Amino acid sequence: MKVRIQRRIAPVTAPYWEGFTYDGPEDTSVAGLLDYINYHDDIINDEGKSTTRIGWECSCLQGICGACAMVINGVPALACETFLKDCKGKELTIQPLQKFPVIHDLVVDRTSIQENLKKTNMYIGEYQQGEKQGHEHQYLAAKCLKCGLCLEVCPNYVNGETFYGAAFANDCYLVASRNRDKAKDIKKIYGEHFGGGCSKALSCVDVCPMKIPTMASMAKLNGGRV
Amino acid sequence: MREVLVIGSGISGMAAAVRCASMGLHVTLAAPFPSERSQSVMAAGGINAVLSENDEGDSVASHIEDTLKGGAGLGGQRAVSGLCEHAEEILHYLESIGTVFSVDENGRPARRAFGGQSHKRTYYCGASTGKQIVSALIMETRRYEAAGLIQRRLWSCFHSALIEDGVCYGALLYDEATRNLQPVYADAVVMATGGQNALFGKTTGSTQCDGYTQGRLFQQGVDLKNLEFIQYHPTTLETSQKRMLISEAARGEGGRLFYLENGQRVYFMEDRYGERGNLMTRDVVSREIFLTNKEVFLDVSFLGERLIDQRLPEIRDLCRKYRGIDVTKEPIPVAPSVHFFMGGFAVNLRHETNVRGLFAIGECASMYHGANRLGGNSLLAALYGGRIAAEEIAGREEARKRPDFTSFIDEQQHLLEKRQNTESKFPVAYVRDLLAETMQKDLGIVREEASLDSGIKDVDYYLEIADRLQYDNSVMPYFNYSLNGILTLARAVLTCAKARTESRGAHYRSDFPKTEADKCHATVISYEEGAYRTWLDKEGTYES
Repeated sequence: MKVRIQRRIAPVTAPYWEGFTYDGPEDTSVAGLLDYINYHDDIINDEGKSTTRIGWECSCLQGICGACAMVINGVPALACETFLKDCKGKELTIQPLQKFPVIHDLVVDRTSIQENLKKTNMYIGEYQQGEKQGHEHQYLAAKCLKCGLCLEVCPNYVNGETFYGAAFANDCYLVASRNRDKAKDIKKIYGEHFGGGCSKALSCVDVCPMKIPTMASMAKLNGGRV
Repeated sequence: MREVLVIGSGISGMAAAVRCASMGLHVTLAAPFPSERSQSVMAAGGINAVLSENDEGDSVASHIEDTLKGGAGLGGQRAVSGLCEHAEEILHYLESIGTVFSVDENGRPARRAFGGQSHKRTYYCGASTGKQIVSALIMETRRYEAAGLIQRRLWSCFHSALIEDGVCYGALLYDEATRNLQPVYADAVVMATGGQNALFGKTTGSTQCDGYTQGRLFQQGVDLKNLEFIQYHPTTLETSQKRMLISEAARGEGGRLFYLENGQRVYFMEDRYGERGNLMTRDVVSREIFLTNKEVFLDVSFLGERLIDQRLPEIRDLCRKYRGIDVTKEPIPVAPSVHFFMGGFAVNLRHETNVRGLFAIGECASMYHGANRLGGNSLLAALYGGRIAAEEIAGREEARKRPDFTSFIDEQQHLLEKRQNTESKFPVAYVRDLLAETMQKDLGIVREEASLDSGIKDVDYYLEIADRLQYDNSVMPYFNYSLNGILTLARAVLTCAKARTESRGAHYRSDFPKTEADKCHATVISYEEGAYRTWLDKEGTYES
């Protein structure tokens, strides 16, 4: 299998593409493929030249930590749960998430996600039950990985300076639903940084590894009851 | 004490940071990645507590007894009592900060049965309890970040501690952003860096937990304890990228283990241990599976689709995604695999190591679990340990004059640069893989002196290579400089396993199969000028 990876040595250097020929096992994921390429003593690219190991982030390797979010064949996804057998075409392309500063190769700095939540005081504080029926929804919202896939795919999210994206919207729902005293303020902040800017493309829902019902979060925050 | 440095931002690290901040202390919470990436999110099954509203005849005394028994007498009476007595308070705390527990028909947190426990006392959030607690604690940490009391420091990897005359004054962190070593001085340093997974390659846990901090601090004079006790989780699933945990919740909800003989299912755990056989402690179940020498399966299909989707959705997803197995229709092939480390930093009841001002909590510390941990006690211990350490730090008033560490820092920086500037491409990953192979082979579920000796010989050789060869400059410097500490820890683990000439809990010696009453003490290991010295803690040094 031909693999093309968009690489970058450091934040200040220019990105470049490098090709590899993958001859490892086929019943693995993109994470398994990256591991396989990196494992060898000498890493040879498809021009037969020796090259450096590919930088990428991982932790759980089972789709619950969000570390390995990247763009695979043009689609934002977690490398550890994107399987080679499901990748269409003869060539596999792998890029870092494009909406975050690249640190090295496929490693990006997603600090902006946390910073926006910090700026808006997104915390529950004292739990006070809000809506009684939303338990399953709250459980799913709290599973958000902050992986950035929903932001990468979103046509409205640029760099997180004003529009904060679906990860933010779901945390808004979680806080508003678990502390009714904060619900009013949260709805206001939600309107400023999400509600007013979302064009409802809903591509965020399709790429979410945790299948968080962002539409339902939006419905409840857009004037519905939380 | 005013300034606290917490290293590691999983559940125990955040618990300590939040508790310190709530008492007005300033906390630097350092980790390479955000808390969402920590191994804590992988804790699945639940958290143990006996609540006063409990109505099934359970008691705190019973929780203490089960924990001590599960730990084969090494848990420490006083430590375990403290842990279990505070479990209710901790559970209420988690509720108060908005953790999304699974609830019963009355809206109260629901509980399930877990292995080695006389009563149903494991409270849970589906099969993602750790993740739900992490999410709640992240918000609580954010509350104190907003108040200016907690400062997160990302892209920071531990390098070494700043220790002089048995007192810790801070730590040297490698900053990935600036690419150099930076000292962070503090009145107290709290290690919350998780287990030692990298010693065994890919385990059920996170690739980020590698045991480096334990190995490095051991070299700096910090005692380690009970390293020979390594928990093999009985039910893990082989996938192309790692062995994945099938939570004990599956058996807690009624899952049954069996193997096939002449086409018939043999429920070997039930045959041997009766009705609750599938819920024996993890050391026992793992050993029994190992001894069958057959392919073993875990069946939950009879629970029905509705119950599985309601209580074990993550297990259903995982089996489908990584193996194409539909657990509502077919059994799961399982085998034991390295899962948890009962050993780690030797700490006293206040979670302080033998170096003053240096604390350790969570899985990196050896506390509460003795020779075998009960499912549902690790989340409890992580939260309780964080709280205890924080309270000790907050209550301590002492004037400290900081020594000058300039020459130490310069020396370490020089060593690091020397390694990074090499053109050599010798891959550290290669040595780490060799190490994993050795440890899997020589420190398995069943051990014996000859294999342990062989392991020690191999690791000594790797240590020799690691010091002699230069490193790969195309990977993160941390990956390079951590190798020596990881190997040192592996050597210490093997040494402890060799020293314990009996079988107890998770440590089973085929050449010493009996449990010896006079060895019912923790193993402590100290590093003295390159020599590894082990001793049994008969005086209870780490139980006071």
